[in-house]
Amino acid sequence: MRLKLLPSVLILAAGCAAAPPVQSHFIHTANLFPADGFITQRAVFSTHGRQFPLNGYLAVSETGGKRLVITENFGHILADVLVKPGGKVFVMQSSRAFSPKDIRLGVAADLQCVFGDATNLNCPVEMPDANHFIIKRHGYSLDLRIVEVKPGAQPASLFDESKAERQ
Amino acid sequence: MNKFKYFLVLAGVFAAGSVLAGPPQTLLDLQKKMAGVKSVYLEFSQERVLKLFSDPLKSEGVMLVERPDKIRWETTAPYQTILLGNRDSVAQFEFNDGKWEKLKLGFPQLLQRVMQQMSAMNQGDIGAMLNDYTASVATNTDVVLTFVPKDENARGMMSSLEVHLPPDLSTTREVVMNEPGGDLTRIMFKNEKRDVAFPAGTFDQAKPLAIADVKAAVNHAP
Repeated sequence: MRLKLLPSVLILAAGCAAAPPVQSHFIHTANLFPADGFITQRAVFSTHGRQFPLNGYLAVSETGGKRLVITENFGHILADVLVKPGGKVFVMQSSRAFSPKDIRLGVAADLQCVFGDATNLNCPVEMPDANHFIIKRHGYSLDLRIVEVKPGAQPASLFDESKAERQ
Repeated sequence: MNKFKYFLVLAGVFAAGSVLAGPPQTLLDLQKKMAGVKSVYLEFSQERVLKLFSDPLKSEGVMLVERPDKIRWETTAPYQTILLGNRDSVAQFEFNDGKWEKLKLGFPQLLQRVMQQMSAMNQGDIGAMLNDYTASVATNTDVVLTFVPKDENARGMMSSLEVHLPPDLSTTREVVMNEPGGDLTRIMFKNEKRDVAFPAGTFDQAKPLAIADVKAAVNHAP
């Protein structure tokens, strides 16, 4: 069976990324994560009663921005996105599971909600504990756990938008 | 290349270490060695090497296979997840907040197919492997079996698959999946045990036995 339905549900989900918050108990804590570092995450993406486990690998740089790579169970890259400090989004790699639109409207928005400068007005995020975030949007939810945080400068090449997919 | 093909290629990674056939002789020897194996227990360390990141993405876990069709692939660090499969079904569990949660998997048929192939190939079902790959053998301190996908689309996903074994083919030391752009996945195995009797519940898709209990049983087996 092909995964052709997955893009549909993700598109559906991503299309709702800018929807009003359903519920929010999230007070953005700017100092929760290091300004420069590498953050490993495990998440379960839920939509229409189905769940998809994902891994997230996020490099953050105060000057360079945020580079997030999302993989599935076996390590295949599903999405790769760069968000510059000013908020500009560059899709570095998309996939059949996550189209450029999914990444731009869904993944990048959620990234900014948890790790960025977005205010809780735009971010329906619950934070049950310091390492656990739940994002609930119309059409999907993301249960995100921080697995590991390694502070330290990241290679500048990670934040070079010149290798992005054609926008 | 679609994701389904990716998983088929990936299934070959896990299979190749244990079950291969056809010329050269080393492959025949390995096939013969594995043909009578009823179960396999393996602990693994996995490194996902992406050129993008300076350090490899590391994980650890355990793979268990039991004839005729049961398989358990469990990641124990840095997060905990269990994949269970057999001919009829597949299940995945995530460990959070001190308890296991069974996922309502999207597209379970796809995962089931992958798990089924991993299991079948570990038990000597090699037809698909040699149909899909060109095999070669190099012998030095290790025996290195190299498989190159015949299909061009598959090569776009994985340029080659290497399986490293000792000269007596008694265990699978390492599997490396090379990708065209230079990224790779390296799975290093240790503590392989063959023909172990897994305790009840090891492959239970409703409530799998804790891996600590499985390990205890395996390590105390005569």
